[in-house]
Amino acid sequence: MTELALVDVLALSAVLLGVGLFGILTRRNFILLLIAIEVAMNAAILNFVAFAAFGGTPAAVSGQAIAVVLVGLAATEVAVGLAIVLALNRLRGSINVAEAVQLRL
Amino acid sequence: MSGLDALLPYAFVVPLLPAIAFVVIGLAGTRLKALEWGGWIAVACAGAAMVLGVLIAVAEMLGPGQYVDRSFVWFQLPAGSSSIFPQGFALVMGTLVDPLSALMLIVVTVVGFLVLLYSIGYMHHDRGLPRYYAELSLFLTSMIGLVLADNLLEFFLFWELVGVCSYFLIGFYYERPAAASAAKEAFLVTRIGDVLFLLGIFLYFAAYALVGPGGGWAASGFKFTNGDQPFLGALVGQAQSPMLTIAGLMMLAGAAGKSAQFPLDVWLPDAMEGPTTVSALIHAATMVAAGVYLLAVVAVFIGFTPDDQLAIVAIGGFTTFYAATMAVVHTDIKRVIAYSTVSQLGYMVLAVGAGFAMVGLYHLFTHAFFKALLFLAAGSVIHAVGTQEMFRMGGLGRTMRVTSVAFLIGGIALSGILPIGGFWSKDDVLAVVVNAAGSHPLYWPFAILAFGAVFLTAYYIFRAWFLTFSGDRPRDATLPAAHEGPWVMQVPLVVLSGLAIGGALLVFVPSFASLLHVPAGGGGVPPVFSTADALVSAVSVGLGVAGFGLAYVLWGNGRVFALPASSPAQGVRTVLLRRYYVKDAFDAVGLRGMYGLSRAADFVDRFVLDGAVRGMERLFAATSDRLRRLQSGVVSDYAAYVVTGLVGLLLLVLFIGPYLVGAIGGG
Repeated sequence: MTELALVDVLALSAVLLGVGLFGILTRRNFILLLIAIEVAMNAAILNFVAFAAFGGTPAAVSGQAIAVVLVGLAATEVAVGLAIVLALNRLRGSINVAEAVQLRL
Repeated sequence: MSGLDALLPYAFVVPLLPAIAFVVIGLAGTRLKALEWGGWIAVACAGAAMVLGVLIAVAEMLGPGQYVDRSFVWFQLPAGSSSIFPQGFALVMGTLVDPLSALMLIVVTVVGFLVLLYSIGYMHHDRGLPRYYAELSLFLTSMIGLVLADNLLEFFLFWELVGVCSYFLIGFYYERPAAASAAKEAFLVTRIGDVLFLLGIFLYFAAYALVGPGGGWAASGFKFTNGDQPFLGALVGQAQSPMLTIAGLMMLAGAAGKSAQFPLDVWLPDAMEGPTTVSALIHAATMVAAGVYLLAVVAVFIGFTPDDQLAIVAIGGFTTFYAATMAVVHTDIKRVIAYSTVSQLGYMVLAVGAGFAMVGLYHLFTHAFFKALLFLAAGSVIHAVGTQEMFRMGGLGRTMRVTSVAFLIGGIALSGILPIGGFWSKDDVLAVVVNAAGSHPLYWPFAILAFGAVFLTAYYIFRAWFLTFSGDRPRDATLPAAHEGPWVMQVPLVVLSGLAIGGALLVFVPSFASLLHVPAGGGGVPPVFSTADALVSAVSVGLGVAGFGLAYVLWGNGRVFALPASSPAQGVRTVLLRRYYVKDAFDAVGLRGMYGLSRAADFVDRFVLDGAVRGMERLFAATSDRLRRLQSGVVSDYAAYVVTGLVGLLLLVLFIGPYLVGAIGGG
């Protein structure tokens, strides 16, 4: 078993980003869209953690700290997103983003 | 010199007097009801102008040959300030009193005053009278200004004012389509001449403004006189450059437009659509006189080349005969007189072309009085019976004795039968032309045409008189009973009769006669009466009497001569009635040519210009239609654009960026 290297983690992060982007571009269901955004965002958080773990000492703590902040931010973002989903569902009776093309009430 | 000389520098007041009437009537307009809607103001101002004008003319005539120039510089570039005019440039407004303008001043102010006075009666029942009197006053102002102008630019300014006034007045009854179109025709046809005249002015400027014998003409404001000498007067008849010949021909074209010479004569007979008073003024004193006066002024002050003179003689001589033939067949009383004007103007042009400008103006002077008389007499007839068709009239001499006698005097004066009016001046014209033809054989055909026209003139004018006034009763019984007009209409007839008889006696004033036969550019003074002249007089009077005799035989005592339908002369008659198809030719060129040109312009406008505009419009519409589809509103699409843009930026930074930096040679 080989040692886990920075490049492996970055590769995983790239895959996550790719999966997330694929979801964002193809999904029409708002909830699935939110999930895809989460996946893509976690790719970024993973990068912070990876650079903090493998990089030099001074950056280590700040990288971990930013990761924690970003997790919190992701949670709030999902909360806002779900609120929009509820509102959309109430207004249009559907959460298909392809139908909400007017971008206004 | 007499005390009247003190008046000469104040000549500028003369054109201002009718200008006052123009402004007052133009502004006050319909509020002047008590004064015949301003008519009496116009008459008063014209009367004052007449008194002053005649006094100034008399002062000039008593001291002949003097040039009294009073001018102010309107605008000046000093020498050296402009590279185009190294000797400087000036625009001058001023008045020049000389023998030519003095003679014209009498004609314009006297006829103008009498026509305005006559208008009070003639136009009494018309609408739009403030407009009429204001325009007539402006017409008079412009013509007096033109006569007194002391430089070419000022001359052109008033020339154009005269043109536009004639447009207004010929189209006075603008609600009648015929009048509106006659006004346009007059304006457009004279405009052809005006444009060429302007080109001629440019050519003179090119010839004289900087170099040549008149070098520095631009600095003196293009004035006709140089101190007390005519500008270039000494060079008249000697200059031979092609450019000067062309410039002279342009002057002839301008004069032909204004004075209705062949082939620009078509507008004058149609201008009969205006009120008869306006016809009288246009035909006698203003407008058509301007063309002859232009030729005279150029002949005396600037000079024509011998080729120009031949062209002028040709146009004038041909027009006398050409117009007289048309007058022979027409049956509208005003049209006959109109053709006679064209024909008589031909005599004046002929005399100027032969080198005797003063003789041309002398004929203009006598012609103005008897032509105004004929028109006002015709107007009196039209006023009485309400038609211009001579075949419906007849026997009017019984009820309209004053008019009948006035028309007869005008007719005798026109046909040049001893001893009334036109005899002296027309004879003088013929005499100087025959004289000039002695040294220029090419003048002979035109001199002979002019003699032929004498016969035709007497025939057509007495035909008109017999048709209108002789016989027992009108041929058309439905005509209203004729009656003479009010005193304001009869007085001008009587005064003009007197002037038609006596005006020509000016030739017996020694100081005038001594000017008459001075060829332009100086030279010998032929005697007023010589044996050759006596022969010319005998021939012309003989021809005139023969014309009268033929008219009496065919039309006298109410007879009506009908050309047999099978006569070969019917073809000639048709050609004459169709006016030699000149107008038709103009129409063909004007309508077809202009129509084709308009079609081409329309095509360019519709498909090239509009096409370009519409093409741009379509391009933008199509582009935006395609771009619009990008804005679908679907969030995933926007995400896709963001990703695409991001990837594009990355590619740029990673691959193309370094290449660019390397290519520029940085870092």
